[in-house]
Amino acid sequence: MTTETLSLPMSTSGLQSRKKRRQANLAIAGHALMIVMSLFAVFPVYWMLVSSLRAENHIFDTALWPDAASLDNYAYALSAIPIWRMLWNTLVVSAAVTFIQLLTGIAAAYGFARWRFRFDKFVYALIGLTWLVPIQVVMIPNYLLVARMGLLDSLPALILPHFASAFAIMLLTQSMRAFPKEVLEAARMDGAGSWRTLWEVIVPNLRGIIASLAILIFISTWNEYFWPLLLSRSAENTVIQIGIQMFITQEGTSWGPLMAASSLASLPILLIYVVLQRQVIQSFMKSGIR
Amino acid sequence: MSAIGKKLARILVGTFASVAVAAPGFAQTIPATVDKPVTITFYNYNLASAGIGADGTKKLIAEFMAANPMIKVDGVGVPSTEMNSRILADVAAGRGPDLAQVVFDGLDFVANNMGASALEDIVPADELAEHFNGMSKNGLELGVLDGKTYALAYTFSTPVLFYNADLFRKAGLDPDSPPKNWAEIKETALTIQDKTDAKGFSTGVVGAAASGFDWLLQSVLLSNGGRVMSEDRKTLTFAEPAAAGAVKMLRELHDAGVLENSSSGSNLESMNAGGTAMFLNTSAYQRALIAGAEGKYELRAAPMPGFGDTLATPTNSGSGLVILSHDPLKQRAAWEFMKFLTSKRGYTIITSEIGYLPLRTDIVNDPAYLKDWVAEHPLIQPNLAQLERLQPWTPFPGSNYRQILKTMMDAMEQAVFGGGDVDATLKAAQDQAQALMPNNT
Amino acid sequence: MSTAALQPVLARPIRRSVRRIGLSAELLPWLYILPAVLAFGVWIYEPLIRAFMLSFYEWNMLPFSPQKWVGTQNYSNIFALQKLWQALGNTAIYVVGLLPMSVAIPLAVAIFTHDLKGRWRNFYRALIFVPMIIAPVVAAAVWRWLLDPQHGILNLALQGLGIAPIDFLGDPNFAIWTIILITGWKLIGFATLILSAANANINPSLIEAARMDGASSWEIVRDIRLPLLSSTALFLVMMTILLGAQWSFTYINVLTAGGPLGSTTNIYYLLWDFGFSSMSVGWSSAAAVVLFVGFSVIAFGLFRMIERYSFYDN
Repeated sequence: MTTETLSLPMSTSGLQSRKKRRQANLAIAGHALMIVMSLFAVFPVYWMLVSSLRAENHIFDTALWPDAASLDNYAYALSAIPIWRMLWNTLVVSAAVTFIQLLTGIAAAYGFARWRFRFDKFVYALIGLTWLVPIQVVMIPNYLLVARMGLLDSLPALILPHFASAFAIMLLTQSMRAFPKEVLEAARMDGAGSWRTLWEVIVPNLRGIIASLAILIFISTWNEYFWPLLLSRSAENTVIQIGIQMFITQEGTSWGPLMAASSLASLPILLIYVVLQRQVIQSFMKSGIR
Repeated sequence: MSAIGKKLARILVGTFASVAVAAPGFAQTIPATVDKPVTITFYNYNLASAGIGADGTKKLIAEFMAANPMIKVDGVGVPSTEMNSRILADVAAGRGPDLAQVVFDGLDFVANNMGASALEDIVPADELAEHFNGMSKNGLELGVLDGKTYALAYTFSTPVLFYNADLFRKAGLDPDSPPKNWAEIKETALTIQDKTDAKGFSTGVVGAAASGFDWLLQSVLLSNGGRVMSEDRKTLTFAEPAAAGAVKMLRELHDAGVLENSSSGSNLESMNAGGTAMFLNTSAYQRALIAGAEGKYELRAAPMPGFGDTLATPTNSGSGLVILSHDPLKQRAAWEFMKFLTSKRGYTIITSEIGYLPLRTDIVNDPAYLKDWVAEHPLIQPNLAQLERLQPWTPFPGSNYRQILKTMMDAMEQAVFGGGDVDATLKAAQDQAQALMPNNT
Repeated sequence: MSTAALQPVLARPIRRSVRRIGLSAELLPWLYILPAVLAFGVWIYEPLIRAFMLSFYEWNMLPFSPQKWVGTQNYSNIFALQKLWQALGNTAIYVVGLLPMSVAIPLAVAIFTHDLKGRWRNFYRALIFVPMIIAPVVAAAVWRWLLDPQHGILNLALQGLGIAPIDFLGDPNFAIWTIILITGWKLIGFATLILSAANANINPSLIEAARMDGASSWEIVRDIRLPLLSSTALFLVMMTILLGAQWSFTYINVLTAGGPLGSTTNIYYLLWDFGFSSMSVGWSSAAAVVLFVGFSVIAFGLFRMIERYSFYDN
């Protein structure tokens, strides 16, 4: 490598231009690859939206944009099931779960990051292991528990089993462990108790990661399917994913309304993403999820 | 569950009952009328889908409540695939439904494990006889287990051969004489595939299109003199020569390029789009098919094909109404509702607005009920005619019934589409499944 | 990575205060973790422990039905399943098939987009992330619609090129790869994000120093970025091995039900099919125990391997 710096200026520039050309070619190839990948990622979503706008007898068309966009599918979907009510329910459940999981997650992470105590590693490992528990096995016992609590056919039943998230706890624990100890020390000097230190020092400084975590929790709750499916009794008290499933029936699938309902279910999340996209990605970058 | 277990369960139920509520599990006659307001919950799978089935069911409930102001029916939509597990979970939670629409393959399980009440045990005999009068005998038979009616036949459909008359003409075939047996199905399908771009035939007997249900398969086996299980429901027989013979016929269809392992959704869509000539499946598809064919091609229907000169012996797909309540007043309310659902008026709505068979066949010729509708919808004729030859869709017994069914259906798929020896595949599965039958565990 | 080293330092000043406050400080951390611990205890571990006990019984879950002791019958039923070996083999195919999309491609994308101008970088990353926010049920429906043998846009495109339509979900040769592709489609965005974050955290002075030394961009990737990203990549590999079978569950359930001919079933789906969906407590409990123990053992092994590897790396 040192030979290069010692070589003559002329040959250096030749080498550099070759290098530049190679890099330019590489960049073009890279962009081409990225465009293909982006299309792969986005096209199904685009196709869902376009199909939802096709008139009933044009549902099998392949034009990239419908000749005459029609809202018939939306009108039908809205009349067949109480979509607005379901969306509202989903919003309430997702917001509540996000809030609760952040609270329990922040508190637990603080417990693990700040202190060492008996069985701490064991408890932490047990929390991590919950990832490997198949949700289907706990579903029926949890259903019975919810029933005993008298919560069937209510939104709290959809929220309660999601009281804590292993992912949130582990992620927050990691970030809190990386928290600069000088700041904590300063807070302690000021006579701040552990509770105040958490809410006045640590949480404000972890805003970014808490925000991105909130978005992740919100999305995954919004998209949840199996637990609401077991609980769903009346269309008025269930979430949008169950509404979507209602268009896939034994008598065949009504593609147009299905795509319309799917679009309506995805749009709120897509909008949140479009608006907050930069913040989400930035905070992920900064917080350095490992 | 073993016989002893069952007895033990009854005794336990009895003990609990004497302490808690009024004697569940024991024969007790219900009050003659509903004289105070009562609400019954009704689990129904038509309510769980968006569209026609839900609207028709809501109409039935509304009409009944208007006529019976004391009774409120709380209809709860539960997808048919979730129905049995939902009932079980809710019974376990002490909040079981009072009335449920049960798919017939789960009948044994619901009757023996969930404390369903047999109609003979709670309804006065003369009242029962009066209501059964005029209902299809073969239909009623399907809800009977060990001599008692646990499920009252409700929504019914039989296998019907739907066909595209235009494709028949295009291939130079006569749409007025559709195939009557499986050999003709093969011949016709090959001709159509030869002369047109269309697929010749599709069905839901085995493989992906069966969606785990064996009612069509049972129809095919029965038509060839085979059975999935012995009459006493103790020994599996789906690998016996008559049954295996029917499966070999299906295998031949596959080898000849007539039968593909496609999904039920794409079969239906292809038929609707005019891309398939013949489609053997539940008559419940009739509505969807009529809608799909409208303005595109001429849709016709024929009876299910048999073997050789013998007519087919169809079974039905569908559901019965099961009373799960142990409260006499609610049982009476549920029974009143059941009587309405299976009345002449009830079946008029079920047939014309949801699309199932009327199990009171006389209303078909009655101008007050279905006469005009049937005249406008000739497609229902083969479906009605088959009601005469209907055989029960036999449910597997015991608590492992789902696993037995799955084991059999997996083997059937393997035997028809997966290559290998048909007899050996079926025999291996039969031996494995036999070990899961109640008298073996 | 370096966090473990920080922890004792952090803990030291607090120890002193522990002595001052006494017993309550011993309890303090427990108070903080209590809500989460209680939640996991009630909603996950209690049912799991009960499942372990019930896996030796035959019972239909109804309070008034007897629980019948059957010993290891439920386990032998599960291990006698004809599809078990096919499902295990498929599980391996799922993992191997997912790895390119959960690790290799995201790694390439993360490294490549890092060197792009800000606007392009954000644009590509934003698009690739989109599938992650789509609900699995919606994704399954949309893909079924795209892949339909007769009307799917993909097959119509193939026909346009003169290729016979492919039944992507109905042909045993294609079905498993189709499900892998759909699962991967949902995954790429998340994996890319995680790897991009790790990549962005690499100290720029390291790269700068190498560049000053005249290292080519490929050499920088090979000698600096890849080794520094290896622990994150390994984490993703581990996630894929442990959770790959679960990630594909919704698509198998909605799109193929394990078929055709069992070609798309994996161990998770098979045990769900015969266990949880069957309403028999014995079967489903035994299936749960088999899954939990099996995957825990694999997880333990992987952790040990990673520990050893990381040690070597240091």
